[in-house]
Amino acid sequence: MMLDMVSEKSKRAKAAVPAEQHQGSPATTPADQGGVLALGGVEAFYGSFRAVNNVSLEVQPRAVTALIGPSGCGKSTLLRTINRMHETIPGATVKGSITLDGIDLYDADVDAVRVRRVIGMVFQKPNPFPTMSIYENVAAGLRLLGRTPKSEMDGVVESSLRRAALWDEVKEKLKQPGTSLSGGQQQRLCIARAIAVQPRVLLMDEPCSALDPVATLKIEELIRELAADYTIVIVTHNMQQASRVSDSTAFFSMDENRAGYLVEAGPTPMIFTSPKESLTESYVAGRFG
Amino acid sequence: MSGAALDFSRQRSASADPLFRRILAAGAAAGGILLLVITGYLIAYSSPLWAIQSPISFLTTPAWITGIEQADGSVLEVYGAASVIFGTAATSLIAVIFAAPIGILGAVYLVEFAPRRLAAPLAFLVELIAAIPSVVFGLWAVGDLSNRLRDSIEWWIASSFGQIFPWLSEDPTAPASDSVFRAGFLLAIMILPMIVAVSREFLRSVPISLREGYIGMGATRWEAIRDVVIPTARVGLIGAVLLALGRALGETIAVTMVIGNAEGIPSSLFLPGQTIASKIANNIGETSGAIPLASMVALALSLFLLSFFISLAVRLTLRRFSQVRIVS
Amino acid sequence: MSAPGVSLHEALLQPGAHDLRRARTDWIMQRIFQVAAFLAVLPLFALVFYVTLRALPWLSPALLTNNPLDQQPGILNAVVGSLQMTALAILVTGPIGIAGGVYLSEFAPRRVAAIGELVIDIMLGIPSIVAGIFAFLVLVPILGFSGWAGSAALGVLTLPIVMRTTQEVMRLVPPSIREASLALGVPVWRTTLLVTVRTALPGVLTGLVLATSRSLGETAPLLMTARGTNAENFLDFGTTMNAMPIVIYQYANAADERSIGQAWATALVLMVIALLLNVLVRWRTVNSRVA
Repeated sequence: MMLDMVSEKSKRAKAAVPAEQHQGSPATTPADQGGVLALGGVEAFYGSFRAVNNVSLEVQPRAVTALIGPSGCGKSTLLRTINRMHETIPGATVKGSITLDGIDLYDADVDAVRVRRVIGMVFQKPNPFPTMSIYENVAAGLRLLGRTPKSEMDGVVESSLRRAALWDEVKEKLKQPGTSLSGGQQQRLCIARAIAVQPRVLLMDEPCSALDPVATLKIEELIRELAADYTIVIVTHNMQQASRVSDSTAFFSMDENRAGYLVEAGPTPMIFTSPKESLTESYVAGRFG
Repeated sequence: MSGAALDFSRQRSASADPLFRRILAAGAAAGGILLLVITGYLIAYSSPLWAIQSPISFLTTPAWITGIEQADGSVLEVYGAASVIFGTAATSLIAVIFAAPIGILGAVYLVEFAPRRLAAPLAFLVELIAAIPSVVFGLWAVGDLSNRLRDSIEWWIASSFGQIFPWLSEDPTAPASDSVFRAGFLLAIMILPMIVAVSREFLRSVPISLREGYIGMGATRWEAIRDVVIPTARVGLIGAVLLALGRALGETIAVTMVIGNAEGIPSSLFLPGQTIASKIANNIGETSGAIPLASMVALALSLFLLSFFISLAVRLTLRRFSQVRIVS
Repeated sequence: MSAPGVSLHEALLQPGAHDLRRARTDWIMQRIFQVAAFLAVLPLFALVFYVTLRALPWLSPALLTNNPLDQQPGILNAVVGSLQMTALAILVTGPIGIAGGVYLSEFAPRRVAAIGELVIDIMLGIPSIVAGIFAFLVLVPILGFSGWAGSAALGVLTLPIVMRTTQEVMRLVPPSIREASLALGVPVWRTTLLVTVRTALPGVLTGLVLATSRSLGETAPLLMTARGTNAENFLDFGTTMNAMPIVIYQYANAADERSIGQAWATALVLMVIALLLNVLVRWRTVNSRVA
């Protein structure tokens, strides 16, 4: 790792030029049919407790879908079933089907580890790896996939950081620990880290809840830009945020057994102005939640 | 603390406060004073030895000869701690070599993989090992473990590597009844709970969000442990091993029971030897005269300084983590 | 492997050699961790099983009611000696240790507290043989080989344990609790004793029990101070005193079967006491520690 960092520095001057070409090239643009995510009758459990009940939802490719609803309604749990993070919790299980471009993510032949490579995740609290430098944080995912030539790695790190609108702020200090950045920068670093492995889908679990308003605004702008290339699903508590960043919105609530269910989903303007359900209407009007 | 009424009540019964504080401070001071007194005694009572032998010579000479009368009537006295220092270093290192990997890997299992219902009882059982008195370990080793080790691990190492490394050789027809290696292995078992307990605390202190971050970008659980959990907890793991090393260095009675208490530096780890602590335990009963007594105290002083520096190193390593309990 | 630019189908359904290797490594490493954890608990079972096996034939009522020189030899004086030397050590160092621990966590200025912690660390690291030689140098010349000297050696080892646990648990008491009391005008000393120490009392008692357990099992320091005896030694601190660890050590390599049997029986008694004491206090704390 140390060696990598040293040689990385010596190549910086050279790498800066070819990295420009990386932008928009296959290195950062997802291919395929665009990442159509379809949830069919998804149920999520913690032991015997049902946290999510029977959610069916089609997520638009290359667009932002917001999951909103009162706390405890299972939105984060549902999000974590999509990249199979849910099952890493002891006793947690999932029923139903989730497909990406028609491929069943819970198929016996599909390894959860590979699912998480094509479906990246950004967490509530920025969590850069404290023992890794900024460069290593972004390179971490690619390193797992095998040997990537140094020059190529430099290019991916730079283009990912540029894509996350962080490059200009960190290009002089790539060797410093990721934790030395401010909260908002850390979160953008986590986004850069997630897109460096070229996922098709990005899941964001309340990515701004730990940030101040200015940093939040920056992340929101970034989400809008990323939507051109990635299918984005974002959980948020903040309805203004949902209305600002998302194309579609899905509203969740809790049934009498405290299991979360989907109330309704649709284009964001419709959900916020003329929802079909009265429950949705009172929630977006701020009457509960 | 505002308001006349409250101040009034305070005046009546708070007069005991300064006295109370002083009593408590005296308790704390007792610890410091005791430490100073111990240090003072060890230095003072070892000083007769320094009159006839320098500390450097004491630490570097392997021979230990207590007053043998020569043909010419002079008395030969040599006090060299090198061979017991070797014994202490060898047993402690063997202990750490075996206990550190197993202890840390076991702690990883408890924190990362063990099902909830299993993790707590397992951790509890490992900690119980620390509760068993050292003399009981010694007895167990004398009665059973030592022979088993001789016939298994020791035999295997000697027959595999004994030809290449003389210090790992053993006479297959007549293996020694006690050995440095077996003492070291027994120590490994004794320090294992400490390594597991302290490592476990530090592994648990690594935020879940870091593991999730790495697993969420397509890492396996082992990769998350290797690249994120262990590097983040690294300092604590080093501290755990240092702490256990300090414990192994000073362990006395169990080692005394199985190491064979032979003078000199053994040519192989599978031969009897002696540690600083075991020599004191063995010889102090028959020690008389100022110089021989001083030589014993000098051994104790070296052991004390050794553990002092280890404690200091642990504190420096773990100073960022003052919450960790070190009693075990 | 899934290099940048591979199709989704490939990435998800056609793992390359590299992916399969990673999955296999993961599986193997998980098994290794499991085995290590198993190896870590194995000695406990092996030891308890073997000691019990060897001790059972020698257990008899006489063991605990008779002294070594009686018709039916027993270890009564060793049990009594161990208990009373430990009791004396704890009675003296317990209050001092608690006071010191309370002072360091509640009242000591930052710098003093830091020095105090370092002192405790160093004292916790003092090998028991060094504590023994200290008592041997200081007390044996005055009082001879005696229960007093034995207790003093044990006290050197128990003091830092009590002080450290007290200090640690006091620190865990939320400041709001003592502030609430102080705000009512309760003087500091009453607040500390009746509120802070009382809240931390279970932890303080844990420290005392751990110190007791440690002290009961110490051998080397007693060999050079209390020395052991065959005579009855109830409250007879002025002369040599027996203790369970001494019996185990001295009989471990005895020539006759009966003595060896007594060593094992004593080991079982000592082990059971130590395990019970630890089960008592550790079960509650092992999983609730703050890291």
